[in-house]
Amino acid sequence: MAELTYLQAISDGLRTEMRRDKRVFLIGEDVGVYGGAFKVSQGFQEEFGPWRVIDAPLAETAIVGGATGAAIMGLRPVAEMQFADFISCAWDHLVTIAAKQRWRAGTPVPIVVRLPSGGGFSGGPFHSQNPESSFAHIPGLKCVCPATPEDAKGLLISAIEDPNPVLYFEHKHLYRRIKGEVPEERYTTPIGKARIHQEGSDISVITWGAMVYTAEEAAQQLDADGVSVEIVDLRTVMPWDKAAVLESARKTSKVLVLHEDTRTGGFGAEIAATIAEEAFEDLDAPVKRIAAPDTPVPFSPVLEKAFIPQVDDVVAGLRELAAY
Amino acid sequence: MAIAREAEPLGSLHEVREAGLDRDDLLGVYRNMLITRGVEERGHILYRQGKIPGSFYTGRGNEAAAVGVATAMSSEDVGTPLHRDMGVHITRGVEPWRIFANYMGRVDGPARGRDGNVHMADQQLGMIAMVSHLPAMLPVAVGCALAFRIREEPRVAVGWFGEGASARGDAHESMTLAGTRRLPMVFICDNNQFAYSTPTQYEYATEHVADRAQAYGFEGVVVDGTDVLAVYREAKRAIDKARAGGGPTLVECLTLRMEGHAVHDDAFYVPKQMFEKWAESDPIERFRTWLRDNAELTDDEEDDIAASVKKLLISALERADESPQPDPATLLDGVYATPEDLDTPHHK
Amino acid sequence: MATETAVDVVMPQMGVSVSEGTITRWLKQEGEQIEADEPLLEISTDKVDTEVPSPASGTVTQILVQEGETVAVGTKLGQIGGAAGAPAPATEPEPEAPAEEAAPEPVAATEEAPAPAAPAAPAPVASGNGKAFVSPVVARIASEHGVDPGHVPGTGQGGRVTKKDILAFVESGGAQAASSAPAPAAAPAEAAAAPPKPAPVAAGETLAGESLEPITAMRRGIAEHMRRSLDTAAHVTSAIEVDFSRIVAARGKLKKEYESAYGVNPTYLSFIAKATVEVLRDYPYVNAEMRGDSIVTRNFVNLGIAVELAEGKGLIVPVIRNAEGLNLLGLARGIVEIANKARNKQLVPDDVQGGTFTITNPGGYGTFHGTPVISQPQSAILGTYALVKRAWVVEDELGQDVIAIRPMMNITLTYDHRLVDGAYAGRFLRDLRERLEGWEGDGG
Repeated sequence: MAELTYLQAISDGLRTEMRRDKRVFLIGEDVGVYGGAFKVSQGFQEEFGPWRVIDAPLAETAIVGGATGAAIMGLRPVAEMQFADFISCAWDHLVTIAAKQRWRAGTPVPIVVRLPSGGGFSGGPFHSQNPESSFAHIPGLKCVCPATPEDAKGLLISAIEDPNPVLYFEHKHLYRRIKGEVPEERYTTPIGKARIHQEGSDISVITWGAMVYTAEEAAQQLDADGVSVEIVDLRTVMPWDKAAVLESARKTSKVLVLHEDTRTGGFGAEIAATIAEEAFEDLDAPVKRIAAPDTPVPFSPVLEKAFIPQVDDVVAGLRELAAY
Repeated sequence: MAIAREAEPLGSLHEVREAGLDRDDLLGVYRNMLITRGVEERGHILYRQGKIPGSFYTGRGNEAAAVGVATAMSSEDVGTPLHRDMGVHITRGVEPWRIFANYMGRVDGPARGRDGNVHMADQQLGMIAMVSHLPAMLPVAVGCALAFRIREEPRVAVGWFGEGASARGDAHESMTLAGTRRLPMVFICDNNQFAYSTPTQYEYATEHVADRAQAYGFEGVVVDGTDVLAVYREAKRAIDKARAGGGPTLVECLTLRMEGHAVHDDAFYVPKQMFEKWAESDPIERFRTWLRDNAELTDDEEDDIAASVKKLLISALERADESPQPDPATLLDGVYATPEDLDTPHHK
Repeated sequence: MATETAVDVVMPQMGVSVSEGTITRWLKQEGEQIEADEPLLEISTDKVDTEVPSPASGTVTQILVQEGETVAVGTKLGQIGGAAGAPAPATEPEPEAPAEEAAPEPVAATEEAPAPAAPAAPAPVASGNGKAFVSPVVARIASEHGVDPGHVPGTGQGGRVTKKDILAFVESGGAQAASSAPAPAAAPAEAAAAPPKPAPVAAGETLAGESLEPITAMRRGIAEHMRRSLDTAAHVTSAIEVDFSRIVAARGKLKKEYESAYGVNPTYLSFIAKATVEVLRDYPYVNAEMRGDSIVTRNFVNLGIAVELAEGKGLIVPVIRNAEGLNLLGLARGIVEIANKARNKQLVPDDVQGGTFTITNPGGYGTFHGTPVISQPQSAILGTYALVKRAWVVEDELGQDVIAIRPMMNITLTYDHRLVDGAYAGRFLRDLRERLEGWEGDGG
C-alpha cells in the first residue's frame, strides 16, 4: 500500500499494464517527450521507447481511429485526448466505428481513451467539460469515472483489459488534490459496479467523479442536523449499477442525483427516470437532481462557481429533501 | 500542374512475369473480375425483384482496380475495401453465396443481417468492414499499419478511399500519421470521377488526388484503373516498398463510375460522351483482349471460365436464398464484446 | 426456374428514402409466359425509372395493380405461377360516420421543476391528515399494514405523513388502534379477505384446445359499428311474407334477355331493390336520419347493398347512388358491379359512404328470418331471406280456399323506433308486398 495522488495512481495503473503486457501502448499529443500535458506519462518514453509511447500529430481522428485499427490487429492501445473536450474531434470515429464494430461486424475494439475532464480552475468552455452522457447514450461504448486514487488505478487496468472501447474520464481537479491508499500490486476494479462511499439511512446521493467529494462535505453538515446521508459513487456511468442505485433508493426513499455535467440530458436524467419508473412505490419524495446549468463552462471564477455545483448547493438540496 | 507519376501500362507476358504473375495467375485474375461483375449484376437483378432491402451500391467499371490491388496483397496483409471494391473481397476469397446472403440481410452474410450491401468483411481474410462515413476507414487502416510497425512485422495495410472522400479531414489526418511515421501503408484512391453527382473539380483543386501525396511526404502515382495489369504493378510496387520499410504510397486508380451512385440514381449528370468513351475501356473486355493477344487465351479456355463462373453464381444464389432471416430475439446480443471475443490468434 | 407454386411480384424499393412506386407499363399480360429475369414491367419512382425483372419463370397468373397506379414499396403487384385470380383480401371499409371518440383524458400534468433553482415542494393541506398528500412509499406501507394514513401523525411538510412517521406508527402498534375504529369503506385488508373471483383468462393467453388469431382492422371496424349501432338506435323488427310467383315468372322471361343483351343476371335482389326504392318514396322516415335535433329526409335513395367478403373476412356495404333513378336493369347491373368491386378490392371511399337505406340478404344460406343491425346513421335496414316453396292457402276462381305451392319469401324491416313507429313500418312492408306480388314485366 502506498499513499498516492489520483494522478499518480493513474500513472501507476498505466505503467503496471505496460510492463506486464507488451501489446499495451500509449498514443496521444505530447505524451512522449513531454510526459503528457498533465505529466501522467512522465518517464514512460524513457522506459518503454518511442514506439510504445507515441507522440501523435494534432489529429484526434487519426489518434482514436488509429487506436481502433491497432486494436483490431491485436494490440491494446491507450489513446489520450489532451483534454476530454477534444473528444468531439474524434466523435465521429468513436460513435461510427469503435462503438458499432462488435455488434455490426463481430469485431471487438479493445481500446481505452483517456479523457482529462471536469472544471473548477478557470479552464473555460473548452478545457472543463464532462462529456460522459453523450457517449453513455451510444450503444457499444463504456464510460468510467473514478473518484478515488484506488479506483483510478483499478479501473484503468480493467479498462485496458476490457474487450470494448472504454472512455476513461479522469477528473483534472482531482489529480493532485486527492490522495489515498493504493495497493502496490496489480488489481482490477470491476466496471459497472458502484461503491458505497459512505452509508446512510435518510437520503441517498447518487454521484460520480469530483462531485463525490462535494457530496461528502455537504453530508457532514447534514450529519450535524441529524440527517444520515448515504453516498453512492457510481464509478461507471455506462453500464451503470442500477441494482445498487435502486437498493439505496429503496432504503432511504429520498434520492438526490448529483453531477458536474449540465442538467438537461445529463446522465442524471437517465438515473432519475429509472428510479421513478422502477422504485416508484418506495419514494417518499420526488427524485431531485443537482447539476450544472445548461450553459458552456464559464471562465471567470465568479461565474464558474455559479456553474459548478458547490457544497452549499448540495447542502441546500439535501436539507430540502430531508424536510419534505 | 501534375506532381504525381503516371504509371506505364504493361506490355507483354514477360513484363508481367517480372512483376510477379504467371499465366495461371492471369487466368485467375480474369476469372475474379468476371465473378466480381457477375455478383454485382446479379445483385442488381435481385434488388429490382425486391429481394434486397435498403439501398444498393456496386462498382461497375472498377473491377480491374479492385482485383488488381487485391492480387498484389499478400495473405498477411490487411485492407479496408469500400463499396466499389467487390473485387477485393472476391480476390481475397469471400464466397459469392455469402455476399448474396449479405445483400439480402440473411444470417450467413458476414454482417449477419446487421449491416447491408457490402458493409461486411471477413476478418479471417484480412479485411475490416466499412462504414458509411468515408473515409473513416483510413485512420483504422493506418492504425493497422501502426500495429505492424510497433511489432516490426512484415505486413502492410491497404486503405481505400474515393476522390470525393479525399476532401474530408480523416484522409489528411491519416496521411499525416502514416507519412510522419513512415508506416507500412498503401493508400488507394478509387477515382471514378463522380462523387454521387459531384464531379472532381469540386472535390480537389489539384490536377490529381495523388499530387497530394507529396504534401504528406510520400510518393503519389496515377494509374489507368481499367488496366488490371498496370494497377497490379503499381500496387505491388507500393506494397513491397511499404513492407521493406519505405513508408506509404498513394496509388490513384482512374476509372469512370459506369452506373449511378446507387441503384436509385440514373446518373443523368454524367455526359453521354463520357460513358461512351469509357465503355470502350471496359476493364474485363480490355483484359480479355490482352489475354487473347499476349497470353494465347483460347476459345475453350474462355468458355470454360465463363461456364464455371456462371455455375458458381447460380449455385451461390440458391445457397444464399436458403440462408435464414436473422432472429429478432438476437437483436440485443453482442453490443458489448466479451473476453472470449478476443480469443483469436492475433490478439495474443 | 419454372414454378408451379406461386411467386409474388412486389414493388421494389429503389433507394432508401423511396416509399412508393408507380407502374408505368406492364410488359406482359395475364396468361402470358415469361422467363426468370426477363423484364416484366416498368416502374417510376421519384428517384428513377426502371424495369422490374420477373422473379421466376412461368405464367403471369395475376396482375393486381394497374398501370398508372401508385402503391407502397413491398406491395404485391402480381403473381407468377400458382392459381389465377385468387380473391384478394378486402380493403378496410371507410367508417360511415366519423367515429365519435371519447375525448382522451387530459394527461395529468406532472410537476415540472423550474430550471436551476430548487423546485418548491407541493404544499399539502395543513389541516387533517386525511386530505394531505400521501407519497408512494407511504401509500404502499399503509396498504401493506392495513393502516389509514389519515390516522397517522405527520411530521413532514405541511403535516404530511412521511415514511418515518408511518413506520414508527406501525412499529408502535398503532395499526391495532386504527383497525378498532369503524372500518373505513376502502379498507384494503377486507378486500383481501373476500373470496377471490375466478379470474377470466387474460388477454393473449389460451387454455388447452384454444387458439388465438389477431383481430384484423376490418373486424375491429365491424365490431365497433355494430356495438355503436345497437347502442344508438332503438332496434325493432317487423316481418312480412311475400308470394314471389309473379316475380319468378317475370324473372324467367327477363333473365335470358338481360344476360344475352347486357351480360347482367337480374337476381331476386334486384327486383326487391326496385320495389323498395319505389316504396321508399312514400315512406320518407324509413330513408331518413336523425341529425342533432332534426330529422333529415331525402328525395333520393343511396341504396347500400351488404356484400359478404370471401373466406369470412367480413362484410362491406357499398352504395348505389341515386338508386331511385335506375330501372330494373340499372339496379341489377349496379348490384353486380359493386359486389365485384368489393370482392376485388377495388372500392374507393366514395363507394361506401353516403348510404341512406340498406338491403341485406342473409338468406343465401337458407335462413328464413333475421334481425339485422341498422347501418348508422340510417333509420332502417331491409332483410331478405331464402325463397322457399311452401304450401300456401290461396283463393281459387270460385273464391274458395285451396292450397297451392307458392315461392314464399319472408322479408324483414328492422327500423329505429326513435323515428319510425310500428304502424308506419307495417304500412311500408304492406306496400312493398303489394308491389312485389303485383309485379308486371320489368316493373315499369
